[in-house]
Amino acid sequence: MSQNPYQPINAELVDIIDESPTIKSFVVVPEQGIKFETGQFVELTLPGEGEAPFTPSSSPAISDRMDITIMKAGRVTDLLHKCSKGQQLGIRGPYGNGYPLKDFAGKQVYIVGGGVGLAPIRSLFLTIVDRISEFKSVVCRYGARTPQDFIYKNDLFGKWQKINGVEIKLTVDNANGDWSGNVGVVTTILKPNDVDIEKAVAVVCGPPIMMKFVTLKLLDFGFKPAQIYLSMEKNMSCGFGKCGHCMIGKYYVCKDGPVFTYEQINKYDGIWD
Amino acid sequence: MEAVFIQNLKPFLDALAEEFELYVPRKTGEHYVFERYDPAETNEAELNNIRTCMPVKEFLFPLRQLAAVMPESTEPQDVKPFAVLGLKDCDLRSIAILDMVFKEDEFLDPFYVAHRDKMFIISSDCFEPGRSCCCNLFDGQPFSENGFDLNIAKVRNAFILEAGSEKGEDFLKRHEGLLRPARPEMLTERQKARDKTQQQLLQNTAEYKLDSPIKELMDNSGESSVFDIEAERCVECQACTRVCPTCHCFYLYDTKRENYFGKMQMWDSCMRLDYAKVAGGANPRKILGERLKHRLMHKFAYFLDRYGVNMCVGCGRCVDADAGGIDIRKILKRLNEELNVKAAK
Repeated sequence: MSQNPYQPINAELVDIIDESPTIKSFVVVPEQGIKFETGQFVELTLPGEGEAPFTPSSSPAISDRMDITIMKAGRVTDLLHKCSKGQQLGIRGPYGNGYPLKDFAGKQVYIVGGGVGLAPIRSLFLTIVDRISEFKSVVCRYGARTPQDFIYKNDLFGKWQKINGVEIKLTVDNANGDWSGNVGVVTTILKPNDVDIEKAVAVVCGPPIMMKFVTLKLLDFGFKPAQIYLSMEKNMSCGFGKCGHCMIGKYYVCKDGPVFTYEQINKYDGIWD
Repeated sequence: MEAVFIQNLKPFLDALAEEFELYVPRKTGEHYVFERYDPAETNEAELNNIRTCMPVKEFLFPLRQLAAVMPESTEPQDVKPFAVLGLKDCDLRSIAILDMVFKEDEFLDPFYVAHRDKMFIISSDCFEPGRSCCCNLFDGQPFSENGFDLNIAKVRNAFILEAGSEKGEDFLKRHEGLLRPARPEMLTERQKARDKTQQQLLQNTAEYKLDSPIKELMDNSGESSVFDIEAERCVECQACTRVCPTCHCFYLYDTKRENYFGKMQMWDSCMRLDYAKVAGGANPRKILGERLKHRLMHKFAYFLDRYGVNMCVGCGRCVDADAGGIDIRKILKRLNEELNVKAAK
């Protein structure tokens, strides 16, 4: 393998799945297998155009291909959305620290996701489900803007609902069509007795504003800052704590995160911006 | 090897130029810059009394470089051995800081290492400190005791040379013909000159002397308005980070060439508005004062936490370069006063 940390591994885009009007999942096969831990991220290069950080949404048990779910949000993601099967890409990483599964063992895992924030959570979810007996249970709360904006619809409404030890509730900000479920932002379906807080950890991933209000609600319920795991989205560029763009206080999100407990970062300004 | 002396610089520089691409200081206007030494030139090089205008990081971490090529990978190009004459102790300390960043135990930046390994450092004593020089406020001194291959100091009619590394010793051994052992009175004279410069520095910076460790000032700066007030004069030219010898932020961008795709690495500045902005639009430091504060927190608190030293060497380049007159010494002094007022309450 190259000793050059800036050198991506060549990869081929082999499949594209439309998840929602603004979100697609890209199935990517790298020339060399990439082993990662759930919650770690990679830098995906569209050669000649740009690079951006993404947390794979596939299970880390699979290293010869990787699912990366991408929302159209800027220049590079717009261009990625225009790509076709066969496109050559590059991958650097994995980088940072993922979810500390050993600290989750024996506990209820309370997962709260919003929008494309379900992407890293899918990887975590698949990892936990593979070893479900090691955890007390998985309680999942997920919100999307409209019913069309849910991603992984087949799994979400189908097989994930049927897994023993998994409980899922969904909500939409705005209902339309034949949606008969809850309407309201994700905090409206969080209840103090969803989990036994003493024996639970919370995992939150979504847009910054959603993460902020979910965190405040969880604190209200009695979660301690150290029990709340946040997957932070910052401008990770180099991936190894050198270029400086992703700093929150003394932390490099790329190297010390992207998963942090709220306790680690709550004293710093700008964590929700 | 004991200290030695030479009477004239030229034979020494010519000897260096035979082995290295040699860079020497030249005065341009009121500043010094480094220029490639050409033995054919008749003008004899002079020693710089203070640090050059541009920081030494330019030799180790170019403003812009090709960091990766796709689809076929590339390794760093061979760097020719080069020597830089006239680096000051603040420069050497800045190299030590860049080494911590780019030559960590678990991380080696191959491009940085390729340059660093080929660099031959000839430091020189400062005399007549500049008006922005303030290394003494940041645990520095105007002469070097380590971190160099060779150190040169001008005394009345001679230049004292001292080796600080095996590479430096070897060089002196190979050129023994040029050298004579330094006489004790020369070393005494060097010491006197060092003391004098030190005294001048102390005088020049007396008004900025701080009562508390800088980390304490920064940790207590939460309520301070000094960053917003100072930032009012900032024109966002990013000169401060450009000339800073320890600022090392960079960004990566991708380019198309005829036969390959390139990933470029280029210096960046945390003072830039979109520096930390993400694609979704969120930006943790939208306000200029927040960016100024972050820059100083990085230098005096975050870097210290991670590496055990301050990321400022007191070279004063940012003070000279700042179009808005923002002065790191004044900001720290202001924080110092604010903390004193708080303590008195």
